[in-house]
Amino acid sequence: MRNFMIGTACLMMIGLIIAIIFYQNQNSKPILPLNEVLEEKAEQDEPKQQPLYAEHPIDYSLQNDQLNITFDKGKSWIPVPVEKDKLFNGEYSGNKQTLIEHSYILTKNRVAFLYSDGLSWEDQKIVLTYSLDQGKTWQDSIVAQPYPSIRFRKVAFLNDEFGYIIVSGDRTMSQEMSNVYLTKDGGKSWKETNNSNVTRLIADGGFVDENTGFLSFGTINPEKPQLYVTQDAGDTWQEASINIPAKYNEIFVIAETPVKEENHLALFINQGPNGDYKGGKVKGKFISNDNGVTWGFSTEVTPNETE
Amino acid sequence: MKQNKNTLKKIGGMLLFLFAIGFFILQIGYLFLHTTYQVEYTDDRLFYIINIFIMICLAAAILLLISITKKWKVIGGSIIILFIIVNVVLLFINNHQIKNIVRISPDFKHVLALKENTKTGKTVYYRTYYYILARPKESFPYKTTGEFKVKWLAKDIAAVTYKAADNTIHQYIGTYGDRGGGGSYYYVGPSLYGRWEGKDVEVISNQEGITVVHNGKYEEFDWDHIVQFGTLAVVLTKNNQAAWAITLNENFEVDSNSSVPPSGSISLYEATMAKNKPITLQYVH
Repeated sequence: MRNFMIGTACLMMIGLIIAIIFYQNQNSKPILPLNEVLEEKAEQDEPKQQPLYAEHPIDYSLQNDQLNITFDKGKSWIPVPVEKDKLFNGEYSGNKQTLIEHSYILTKNRVAFLYSDGLSWEDQKIVLTYSLDQGKTWQDSIVAQPYPSIRFRKVAFLNDEFGYIIVSGDRTMSQEMSNVYLTKDGGKSWKETNNSNVTRLIADGGFVDENTGFLSFGTINPEKPQLYVTQDAGDTWQEASINIPAKYNEIFVIAETPVKEENHLALFINQGPNGDYKGGKVKGKFISNDNGVTWGFSTEVTPNETE
Repeated sequence: MKQNKNTLKKIGGMLLFLFAIGFFILQIGYLFLHTTYQVEYTDDRLFYIINIFIMICLAAAILLLISITKKWKVIGGSIIILFIIVNVVLLFINNHQIKNIVRISPDFKHVLALKENTKTGKTVYYRTYYYILARPKESFPYKTTGEFKVKWLAKDIAAVTYKAADNTIHQYIGTYGDRGGGGSYYYVGPSLYGRWEGKDVEVISNQEGITVVHNGKYEEFDWDHIVQFGTLAVVLTKNNQAAWAITLNENFEVDSNSSVPPSGSISLYEATMAKNKPITLQYVH
């Protein structure tokens, strides 16, 4: 009896000392509920970030759910302080693998991203986030607030100071509002021009100089191009007159943004999404000698000639 | 007479020895559960207290059952005292690192258990089993500063009001019961639809949210700012802080038919670190 008790007591004492050491080690770990432990584990198990790849010296990447830009063909990447999803806000049906055409500028001296931001549908604004020092510092410029659900978006600069933004939104069936904003201070502030008052869906638009700009309308089954022109930086808009030869009626239907060519302006009019004339890719080239008010037919061009 | 005394000593000694073995088995079993099933003592300090208890029982049992020389009494006694001191020190060190908050419900049926990691400010709410065992259930969403005010608003509802590291006030409601028969989950907000009145206070719950009228001051909370706990309470939040907790009292009955007016009362409890009492409200219409 005596030996049994003393033996048991010693064993218990040793057992408790080991238990204390074991308990101390266990207890030093943070306590977390099981579901949170699993969540943490899942986060750790997430695949490692994919390496980013650049095709051009100045390029962007949308991989790993983050917009990054590079100025050295992918050797180093700079994150852009804009959530990826915001860049695709509004009417967008793509796969978010590439940025929306014309919604960004990526040059050595200016990087800019145009997007719609806001928590609720009613409380959205149009923002341009830009950097003039290759991503070292960023500014947010509010272009319009509030602005309903955005569809068409385009930003471009003609020089360091002058730039334009064209956006459209609030689409119902085949009607929407479209607005033009101009900056004369390199993007810090934006001022809306007078409205063209056209409610057809906008197809394209742009300025060729600080006063002369165009808006092209009609994207769904257009029958003829509808081009509006301003020659006073958006104070007034008038419909341009395009003389389409009879044989091209209902063939060349959507006007692109005119470009300057020698001492006149040139305009390409394409066949729209349903065009099938000579395979559908051929465009009509038109020339204007009065700064965009009237346009005369020049020639047919194949896609390669226009690029 | 002497024989009787000896028998009593023997029985007492054997009982203490069995106690020691029993608690020793509990302690080892606990360590097994702790590592395998994430089970912890409701209060971490219990581990050390049980250790000390085992040692005292063991020492007393030996003294009662067997005769040992004075020399061994001194050696054995010293070891036991040292063991107890080590456990007391570890108990304080451990409680400094992980602060235990344990409150038993007024009817002694439930235990509210919280553990705060004082270093990280992370506080975890525990579900308890058989009073002394617990498993972590949920972390508090904000870093805590160690100030907790616990109040049992009903036998099965404990409100924890605490300060976050950024000095904002929050509430966590531990719930241990049900007012709907326990058969199904239900939303507390819709079961409160209507107007409720109490002393100097009114609560109106409708489609838009819940309005609290307190001393003539209106406070509106839309449903996005109302957080439900269990099936017994909601916390109304404003500016990222808790403002009020509304709990269903024990006489409240949840009826799945929304056209039937609610029966029973509810409690309104302000989120403040100062001492305060819940206000009971009755259904008006």
